[in-house]
Amino acid sequence: MPALTRHIHPGWLIIAPLLVLVMALYLGPILNILWLSVTDPEPGFGNYAKLGESDALIRIVWTTVRICIITTLFSVTLGYSIAYAMVHCHQRQKNYMLTLLLVSFWISILVRTFSWLMLLGRKGLVNVTLEDIGLIAEPIAFMRNELGVLIGMIHYMIPYAVLPLLVSMQSLDMRVMDASRNLGASGSQTFWRIYLPLTTPGIVASTLLVFILSLGFYVTPAVLGGGKVLMVAEYISVQLLVTLKWGTAAMLAAIMLMGVLAMLWVMSRFMKLSTVFGGAAR
Amino acid sequence: MHDKQFMKETLQDSAHAYKEGRMDRRTFLALCGASGVALNAVLAGDAEAAADHVVMWNWGGQSEECHGSAIGDAFTASTGKGLKFDTSGPLEGKIKEMVDSGNVTADVADADLFNAVSLGPTGHLEPIDYSVVSKDKTLPGYALEHGVSVILYGYAFVYDTEAYGDNPPQNWADFFDTAKFPGMRSLYKWANGSLEAALMADGVAGDALYPLDMDRALAKITSIKDNSLYWGSGSEAHSMVVNGEVSMGMVWQNRGRNIENDTDGRYKLVNNQALAMPGAYIVPKGNPAGAAVMQFIATAQEVPAQLALLDCLGMTPSNPAAFGQIPDDQQDYAITSAKNIDKIVYNDPDWWGKNGGDAVNAFLEAIS
Repeated sequence: MPALTRHIHPGWLIIAPLLVLVMALYLGPILNILWLSVTDPEPGFGNYAKLGESDALIRIVWTTVRICIITTLFSVTLGYSIAYAMVHCHQRQKNYMLTLLLVSFWISILVRTFSWLMLLGRKGLVNVTLEDIGLIAEPIAFMRNELGVLIGMIHYMIPYAVLPLLVSMQSLDMRVMDASRNLGASGSQTFWRIYLPLTTPGIVASTLLVFILSLGFYVTPAVLGGGKVLMVAEYISVQLLVTLKWGTAAMLAAIMLMGVLAMLWVMSRFMKLSTVFGGAAR
Repeated sequence: MHDKQFMKETLQDSAHAYKEGRMDRRTFLALCGASGVALNAVLAGDAEAAADHVVMWNWGGQSEECHGSAIGDAFTASTGKGLKFDTSGPLEGKIKEMVDSGNVTADVADADLFNAVSLGPTGHLEPIDYSVVSKDKTLPGYALEHGVSVILYGYAFVYDTEAYGDNPPQNWADFFDTAKFPGMRSLYKWANGSLEAALMADGVAGDALYPLDMDRALAKITSIKDNSLYWGSGSEAHSMVVNGEVSMGMVWQNRGRNIENDTDGRYKLVNNQALAMPGAYIVPKGNPAGAAVMQFIATAQEVPAQLALLDCLGMTPSNPAAFGQIPDDQQDYAITSAKNIDKIVYNDPDWWGKNGGDAVNAFLEAIS
């Protein structure tokens, strides 16, 4: 036993049950998916070859990636200004803002999605008001198209973007900014050359979080896209439940998984990912 | 296999004993645990279902109440067995997954007849026992080896009387004519019905639809793509119309009356050229209640059940004996009523069962 503990830290014993659970309940099904993608309907890489043969599949993947990039861009930018405002206002106001943020975080995605329809739909509050005061003759098509999907997704993702940024900004040593001003830099110079670079880990963290979560969006595109914005998650569900092409579904799931892993790997080339996830930069 | 059957019977007996108080709960559960068969049913929380219930797998909402009153009560009266529900929606993939996993918890699924064509030959369904269920109590061609049509629902459309009141649209050709009838349209997202409507609009006769000419249908669909939305559920179809998002909307005919009521008659149902879809009862392979479910299906075929389903859910009878008894206030809405039956066309479950998957994908790719 002493020989064993010399090589294996006893701490592992405490986390062993968790590790076993994760292996059994998470890795198992993932391996099963990967296996399905090369065995259904017949063994081989036929499902993956479809990506090269079918324009439609490529288009669906591209639509997904495009929407996720735009969503991430807007969510992180808007999230940055919200987090900035929260860090730099009075404690009281900060608490109000944090409460509002968390409340929207907790509201079901379905409720938030359908609220947008009531607000921005063809007969929604905004269109009806604009028509009544005579600003527009025809309702503006905010919803049931790609714009609608983006509005719904960005709105849903902003709290996810804010939280990592908030943590990153709160941990900054503000004396550095004072020093910068003291040395003659203007306010905007200090922001662009000191503040922004110091919050990079927060930006990367919220970008990764928002992008990866966006890839799996299902409800929002299905409802707000009016059936014409087809993203990977919805397509996978149709292949599983309606058309019974489980191999295609597994292939797309595997592609998404590998895409995310590849993204993390590329990121790790440029920076220490541990700083993004809250570790110390060494 | 033999052992399995034996255990199942033992368990059914003990379930009766447990219900009547001759066996305590712990012994009963221990017996369940000892048998591999019913362990699943115990895990699912309704061990008794194995013995004296039939579990119906439907789509929830109103259907739970309606299936209970229209079929369940009569079934219980004649057999003494109860009716329970799983309301998670028996999509084809879910049925396949349930049977493949060996954890079959449902006896009868409220599905489409084309599901019987695609899942039957792959061994996922029990054959229908036509010594109990009647082939004459449904339309000809709708009593298949692995499923029987119990109701019909139709792909029809509603239109805005304020927009087209003077010259209302009559058929699918008008539905697809956005020059003559300007405005938005809504269609079903998973191809079914939408493809047939497009072909009829393009001039194909209702009795010559199958095999579907996919290229021709998709060309017609994409011709109104900019003016159309697509719905994935009955409630979404309903809300697109009621919220005024479309001037003409394809709907399931059984929703027609509710839409007319909810819009105070502003939207009106057109059943001309409605596509009759055979809604079918199918039985997952290895269902817990065994052969008893066939009696349930037979009960659903009877005229009183057929008329009760029409009254409660708006589902149209498929038993020809019930056609003549459709009440006056349902004549406009039921697609097999004397008023509508000569104007409708019929879905071919065989074509959909064999080609449905590819058709759905081609359709999704065309509209996205």
